[in-house]
Amino acid sequence: MDSSGPGTIALPRDLATAPIAPTVLVVEDDPSLRTLLMRLLREEGFQPLSAGHGAEMARVLETNAVDLILLDVMLPGSNGFDLCRMVRRESDVPIVMLSARQDETDRLIGLELGADDYIGKPFSKKELIARIRAILRRTQAGSQSSQPRGHQRMTFSGWSLDPGRRELLSPDGAFVDLSGAEFDLLLAFVSSPQRVIGRERLLEMSRARFSDASDRSIDVLVSRLRRKLAVVGQAEPLLRTVRGVGYIFTAAVERR
Amino acid sequence: MKPLRLWPQRLVGQVTLVLMLAVALEFIGSSILFEHSRLYPDLENQTKRVAEQLVTADALLEDTPATERTARATVMSTRATQLGWSVLPSLVDGGRDTENDFREEFLEAEPGLQGRELRLRADIDHAVPRDTHLKAALKLRDGSWMTLNTRIHVAPWAVLLSGVGSAFTLGLGVIIAATLVLRNLSRPLRALAEAADKVGQGAHVSIAESGAGDLKLVAKAFNAMQDRIAGLLNTRTEALAAVGHDLRTPLARLRLRAGFVKDADAREALEADVDEMTAMLDSLLAYLGGQEDPEPQRRTDLAAIAMTLVDNATDAERPATYTGLEHLPVLGRPVSLKRAISNIVDNALHYGGDAALSLTREGDTAVLAVEDNGPGIPASEMAHVLQPFHRLDSARTRNTAGLGLGLTIVQQILHREGGVLVLKNRQQGGLRVELRLPAL
Repeated sequence: MDSSGPGTIALPRDLATAPIAPTVLVVEDDPSLRTLLMRLLREEGFQPLSAGHGAEMARVLETNAVDLILLDVMLPGSNGFDLCRMVRRESDVPIVMLSARQDETDRLIGLELGADDYIGKPFSKKELIARIRAILRRTQAGSQSSQPRGHQRMTFSGWSLDPGRRELLSPDGAFVDLSGAEFDLLLAFVSSPQRVIGRERLLEMSRARFSDASDRSIDVLVSRLRRKLAVVGQAEPLLRTVRGVGYIFTAAVERR
Repeated sequence: MKPLRLWPQRLVGQVTLVLMLAVALEFIGSSILFEHSRLYPDLENQTKRVAEQLVTADALLEDTPATERTARATVMSTRATQLGWSVLPSLVDGGRDTENDFREEFLEAEPGLQGRELRLRADIDHAVPRDTHLKAALKLRDGSWMTLNTRIHVAPWAVLLSGVGSAFTLGLGVIIAATLVLRNLSRPLRALAEAADKVGQGAHVSIAESGAGDLKLVAKAFNAMQDRIAGLLNTRTEALAAVGHDLRTPLARLRLRAGFVKDADAREALEADVDEMTAMLDSLLAYLGGQEDPEPQRRTDLAAIAMTLVDNATDAERPATYTGLEHLPVLGRPVSLKRAISNIVDNALHYGGDAALSLTREGDTAVLAVEDNGPGIPASEMAHVLQPFHRLDSARTRNTAGLGLGLTIVQQILHREGGVLVLKNRQQGGLRVELRLPAL
């Protein structure tokens, strides 16, 4: 994380009210879409920059400190994947890939190459802003708590969580489908294992806050997660309720 | 130098050759059989009788003084057999196969003739009936000769039987042989017919370019045609898919622009329209790209997918429920499976008003059932609902979203994962859709 963002601030704060607006670089070859994205980002309190192709992107990155890159996959010349790889060689700046292709392989390639998220076109304004905020918050929280970046696989009581591919595998190796909010919530738990986490903090850490969530919706999400994580004969539930406070993730987490 | 090829290259040549060979075989065969037809029992008996007469006459004449022998011989003659006696031989042996055959039979019937000088001459009367004029001269002990002149009569029915019988057996043999050969020749044709049938069902079958020259050409042309058709289809699919992908950018613009519309009702309507177009585009691309989906198969928890979809529906305030197993791994492509289940759940919510999902295991089969309380599917429509772009009439008048690809895609996906799609109208009303997949 570079020092221009609010990463130096001791406590996580709402980014929209941060003293310096985060800079977002839009790399998109379609001029109208680029203009629209810039306008939207400006309205949402970001400081947008734009580039139409790879060379332009490199120029912008040389002269500006950027907090996040919105990168289209289909670009003239070197495509988004190439650019993603190129950026990752030099910096950890968060990258969100935008793609017209909906298939899973593209998403996985993007995430494997080190992109932080992948959004299929067409996306709504709300969805885009929510994802950008979630990623900025996640990376800043990461730089703060010295949580290593990158895509380490995490394991707990046989389960395996891959934050890069956003995948959860059960103890018998089966892929377990999680909704976006469920995944973020689980990631929050696994990032702070065996510690009591309050509902407020969970709300902050999971994307649920952007889908008109309330305290109750955290409880709903936790119960859904419990059901998906249930294993026959498990002595202790992985997610235990701490009355009046929040939840604790009981298992030890190993990073690989 | 080209090697000399006796086997004709073209089908007409091969069939002609087989027919010619069959006719020649029949011809040669019947000639041989006809020669042998004289060995029919009737002939054998007659030959034995002649041999017997010969031996009897020989014994009598030996005991008769030379002067009386001619008279005695005349006395012994019958209408069919004339006997005579002479000092000098009046007959020259024919020496042909026919005579030798008779001699052998004589010796076999009457071993007493062994070592005796016997001259034979057999003349076949070629007029019908095919009687044989047989002349025999036997040297007596004193060196004089006894002659026997008889006619071996062949009954007309025997001629007929031998002719027809031999023709029949031979004809049958030849027909069988020719059939076998022609069957062999037509194998490439049958392969072609089978391949054409399979190609009609959408499979790519390359057939072996073997057999007769022109059949080889047909096979080659057929394979080339298949490649061209596949090429054409691919080009079209790719073009459609490219358009589909390209449409996403203007749709993305549209969706973002919708966000700037101040009028909330207009904005929501706009967003709904974009969502509908996106859904259509997704289903079209899923249908077109169904076979080439690069997603790998993996161990996947079917229960988790079903739960996620039910939870999503519940969040959107739609009446969906989930009961059954908490985990059930299958081998499949998670994104495809999710799309399939999602299509079924969407249909149930849309047409039935609710969706009750239940996941059970029946032996080696994972059964995910989605039940609704809607009107079900009329029996007459059951067969058509799986066809692409087909929509129930009521669905069209309801002005529903989609292209009529939902169930087709589900079917496609299940087929690829080795599963089956079952549609049933429930007795208490509503539809029950079962997705049956091999469980792990």
